[in-house]
Amino acid sequence: MTWYLGDLIPYLPLILQGLWVSIYVSVASFLAGTALGLVAYRAKAGRSPALRRMSSAYIEVIRNVPLLVVLYLIYFGLGQFGINLDPLWSTLIALTINNGAYVAEILRAGFDSVPGGLREAAQALGMSSRQTFRYVVFVPGIRKVFPALTNQFILLFLFSSVASVIALPELTNALMTVNSNTLRTFEVFTVGALLYYAVSSVLAVGSRVGEKRLFKW
Amino acid sequence: MISVTDLHKSFGKVEVLKGMSCEIAASEVVCLIGPSGSGKSTFLRCLNLLESITAGTVIINGHDLGDPKLNKITVRKDVGMVFQQFNLFPHLKVLDNIMLAPLKVGKKDRPATERKALELLDKVGLSDKADAYPSALSGGQQQRVAIARALAMDPAVMLFDEPTSALDPETVGDVLEVMKRLAEEGMTMVVVSHEMGFAREVADRVIFIDEGLIVEEGKPSEMFDTPRHERTRAFLRRVS
Amino acid sequence: MGDLLTYLPPLARGAGMTIILCLIVGVAGSILGFVIGLARASSIGVLRWISAIYTNFLRGIPLLIILLFTYFALPLLIPGAVFSQLMSGAIGLTLFVSAYIAEVVRGAIESVPRGQYEAAEALGLGFFNKFRYVIVPQAMRVMVPPWVGILLAMIKDSSLVSVIGFVDLTQAGKIVGTTTMQPLWAFVVVGAVYFFICYPLGRFGRWYEKRLSISLARPPDTLQIFVPAISGLLEHEPPRDAGGST
Repeated sequence: MTWYLGDLIPYLPLILQGLWVSIYVSVASFLAGTALGLVAYRAKAGRSPALRRMSSAYIEVIRNVPLLVVLYLIYFGLGQFGINLDPLWSTLIALTINNGAYVAEILRAGFDSVPGGLREAAQALGMSSRQTFRYVVFVPGIRKVFPALTNQFILLFLFSSVASVIALPELTNALMTVNSNTLRTFEVFTVGALLYYAVSSVLAVGSRVGEKRLFKW
Repeated sequence: MISVTDLHKSFGKVEVLKGMSCEIAASEVVCLIGPSGSGKSTFLRCLNLLESITAGTVIINGHDLGDPKLNKITVRKDVGMVFQQFNLFPHLKVLDNIMLAPLKVGKKDRPATERKALELLDKVGLSDKADAYPSALSGGQQQRVAIARALAMDPAVMLFDEPTSALDPETVGDVLEVMKRLAEEGMTMVVVSHEMGFAREVADRVIFIDEGLIVEEGKPSEMFDTPRHERTRAFLRRVS
Repeated sequence: MGDLLTYLPPLARGAGMTIILCLIVGVAGSILGFVIGLARASSIGVLRWISAIYTNFLRGIPLLIILLFTYFALPLLIPGAVFSQLMSGAIGLTLFVSAYIAEVVRGAIESVPRGQYEAAEALGLGFFNKFRYVIVPQAMRVMVPPWVGILLAMIKDSSLVSVIGFVDLTQAGKIVGTTTMQPLWAFVVVGAVYFFICYPLGRFGRWYEKRLSISLARPPDTLQIFVPAISGLLEHEPPRDAGGST
């Protein structure tokens, strides 16, 4: 068996295009998912029992059901009701919903770890609980779980590969196409793995640098 | 200024304050002393509603703390608190720590607030630290900033919950100096502390609390030199 | 919905395959992970480097890529070999899981204070005894909660094996869904089965952790914990709380 990358070269644009799709799908879903997670956290930590129960249910269900099943539910399942979402939207929605539940719990760990004394000081100064959260709890809490959040993003990026099964033209899908066209299986998937690894490494290092830059205190 | 009548406070089934009554006049400096667990901190925290009142009446600067319609924030604008652990906001610079509450709670405008904050910082002797983060300050410096932060809201009463207990002995003096000057300027202060020297020098009155009740109160010289109750004597013997 | 009842057997078979796969991977992955974790924490430089590359790489690429590689590419290495879908899936998933478990094991071993090693040596305990009676028992307590978390996550990640055609619970759901033309109900049932497997195990894990009262944070939920790549060499760990995916 010989190793030969030359056959892959004509497919480089396709592969890079796939990488681009993977990246922007991940970024979009992460941002949306984090917003959703913040909302879910506030609901779960809030005063309305109905909202608390709803967000707890959402978080527990998503954290105990595989992403692939959620993706299939949206892509195939909704079709039963005539809602036929394309692969891109299905992926975005599934990843967002998935990410939101995990982010909610990360945030909870972070915000809960902010020392009670800080909250008391804010209250003693006359701040409402919303103000206390916004000005005193939020930033220190985020700092505490910043590594977990960036780690979550990296995970999301890696698991975006799941969308290849519903034919979203992201990186893994591109790799499978190249594989069936060139039959250079070994080379294709090695290159693919290295690409994913390169991106996740850059993100990991970036996370560390970002943490130092953002949180100078 | 502060009027407490038969204050009871329970945590679940455990009664911590068992019926305390006292009056504190404006510009008075009152020190609360007593063994750990006696309820001094709990009493203090009832005064700004960090702890709710189970029974009894507390009226502070005209606010009736037992009134269910009372907004806690209204009281807290009038009552400042300094904590044993300082509780400065770590992600904000010193100046921002001081300005946060007046800007967001008091809704004051930025230039005026900034000027006031710098004045207060100067008053506690830390003008050069305005742009520093709390993590760069020593314990004593942080506590002085905490005092400035509480003063920024222009309170009528200042509460101090063991302000020097978490400090290295070298820095205790700086904080007590600030508190002494505050007292001389006429601030009404309620101080829970073990610093007997401070009580003797600065307090108008000392109250000895034990097991949720006021055992004895009086002028510092009376309390320290000629305590009337045996429990007071026993406590003073233990701490001196 | 009524149709679905007749399709219960295939779904049950799928669930059974998932459970079998998870048991295999759970055992194999834990053993492999434990060994590699020991290598990761050992004082022999070469072992540490090789195992570091192993764990960092496997944690830095998608599980799907590992599975695709194992199913399509690996057999090419062994002339004439054909891997069954179960075998490829098991191998791929085992490799993936072992990398995470290895890092957990490493972290746990490194969390045992130096003084323990010194005390054990001072008492005359040799290498194996030292590890067996002093270090590993202490490391175990730190190790168990995240390790349980990884296994729980693995149950969900096993759904990816359906992509290479293995008829696990997820694939069974897909087949049933398309044949009955009621994919929504099929996948709701599938999701429910996963939920009723994972949720109780998760609760149990958290209860057990409380009993051990080791960490103050909740156990990590899926295959993450320590961010891969260069960070692994810089010993960076996000707080052990609940991030995850899948």
